[in-house]
Amino acid sequence: MDTIHTDIELASVSKSYPLGRSRVPIFEDLTLHIPTGDFLAIMGPSGSGKSTILNLIGGIDQADAGTISIGGTALGRMGERALTRWRARNIGFVFQFYNLMPRLSAAENVELPLLLTPLSARERRERVLTILDIVGLSDRARHLPSELSGGQQQRIGIARAVASDPRILLCDEPTGDLDRKSANEILDLLQMLNRELGKTIVMVTHDDSATRVARRTLLLDKGRFVARQEMPACA
Amino acid sequence: MPLPMTSFLRQTLALTRSNLRSLPRRTGIAASMVLSVALVVIVLLAFLSMAQGFRRTLQSTGAQDIAVVTSRGAFSESTSRLSTRQIHMLEAAPGLARKADGRALTSEELLVPVDAIRTSDGQTATLSMRGVAPGGMALHEGLTLSQGHMFTPGSAEIIVGDRLAGRYRDLGIGQHISFGHSTWTVVGHFSAGGSAFESEIMADAGTVQAMFDRPGDIQSMRAKLTSAAAFPAFRDYVETTLDMGLSARTEKDFFAAQAGNVSRIILFLGWPLAVIMAFGAAVGAMTTMLSSVSDRLTEIATVRALGYARGPVFLATLAESLMLTLVGCALGSALAWACLNGFGASTRGAGNTQLAFQLTFSGMIVGQAVVLALLIGVAGGGLPALRATRIPLRIAMSGRG
Repeated sequence: MDTIHTDIELASVSKSYPLGRSRVPIFEDLTLHIPTGDFLAIMGPSGSGKSTILNLIGGIDQADAGTISIGGTALGRMGERALTRWRARNIGFVFQFYNLMPRLSAAENVELPLLLTPLSARERRERVLTILDIVGLSDRARHLPSELSGGQQQRIGIARAVASDPRILLCDEPTGDLDRKSANEILDLLQMLNRELGKTIVMVTHDDSATRVARRTLLLDKGRFVARQEMPACA
Repeated sequence: MPLPMTSFLRQTLALTRSNLRSLPRRTGIAASMVLSVALVVIVLLAFLSMAQGFRRTLQSTGAQDIAVVTSRGAFSESTSRLSTRQIHMLEAAPGLARKADGRALTSEELLVPVDAIRTSDGQTATLSMRGVAPGGMALHEGLTLSQGHMFTPGSAEIIVGDRLAGRYRDLGIGQHISFGHSTWTVVGHFSAGGSAFESEIMADAGTVQAMFDRPGDIQSMRAKLTSAAAFPAFRDYVETTLDMGLSARTEKDFFAAQAGNVSRIILFLGWPLAVIMAFGAAVGAMTTMLSSVSDRLTEIATVRALGYARGPVFLATLAESLMLTLVGCALGSALAWACLNGFGASTRGAGNTQLAFQLTFSGMIVGQAVVLALLIGVAGGGLPALRATRIPLRIAMSGRG
């Protein structure tokens, strides 16, 4: 179990996007604490700022004001190169439309983040097979994404996200493109990664079933958290 | 701390592999880029091989121990005139090889332009007919009869270079051909090691003077030297001691100077045309690569989000561009090689007469084509590659919450 401190802190964060000559505020003075090992589901209507929170935590977008720190490291103080390396070591992304490289096999897709590590080719191969086994797709290693179902592609996406053993998983609508059965399998898989491997997971979703697996659920509306649901029984 | 090089290379290779495997999604536009580069390469190689073939033909002509004396300032033999007095003075020059009777081994020669009909298109072309003094054939080293026999001094007989025989009407052995008011009999064909002499017709100098009404007209004198080392003293005598407005060069330098001028003209025409076409090809390459980047926006943003640096993204896009241009270069080179290497061509040589030569390929000129293709690849791929590194990473995220 991961015991290293990776608390996520958003303190008085503001973010807006340009629209013509003006700027559209997404949220202002937002504060959020996500403790190490949490599984937080963020729900809310479109345009409420859910994905923006993921972008800010993942260091792929910058706040207009406020500070974002993870495990005590302030992201705003890092240069782009340092941020890129930090992201490679600490963050795994799971996307709604999987974002797999269409011409690379399942195994090659999972290997992509491992190419950023000092692992040898043999070690990478072994790691890929282990992870594919965890997500239940070891028999699909050589298949192209187009030869897999949506649920299987998302499993490969999750396998890629955890391949380099990051402490934090950021999931953007991971069940948004799946049927109910596949969505439940993905949610179960994410729950297993949180419970058994100690991954801190922040998941943006419209899927009400997410509350079944998340430890906490926050409802975001117009840039404010308006409701929360704790799931102590699952913790 | 900079990225470890192995990680940088791994990222670049993985992205390049992914890019290249996605090429089938862009078959049409990638093929057009390959073909446009191939076309540029074919044009460039045609000009380069032409210049090289021409240069080699003339540079293979001539010896170091044979001097050619012409009027000072004459670019070619046809613009030169030597007087009888000058010829007599030249025969006393130091360094000349001499026969047993003490006479210098020299040949007084003149070139006369004559018209012949090309067999390929029936068009008239101007050829060089060289009048050679008796015994002067010994001063055309490497010249050997491939068919027939040598012309007889005093008779209207000619021998024809192998590069002309067959390409022009009435130049077969035993055939008669009219030049102006005179009629000549072809008695032999000769080779001369691929040199410029193979583009000439040769006859007895006295007969040429008589038949073309040019009594005493001598344009150049060939002189056999005791050795190549004797040339400086010979030249000093001709140009300084005599001071009769004459110029002496070794036969090799004489033809090399002509080769340089004409091959420079060919290159002067060829390179600008190739560069203009290359500019067009680079624009095409840029379009292709911009399409490639647009096609992979999400993929690029995703790998960047995974932690891939800008450098590998840039290099992988550039590598795709370079590989496509290299495929185009290979295709163009192969087509040019198959169709043009050894292709017989002719152009106007010195004296405005036809000079036949073969287009000649070499590693050097193919190397120049490769360099041009790589420049097209860099010019066409650079901007799209830069664009690829600036794709906003949030494109990787599907939702906009």
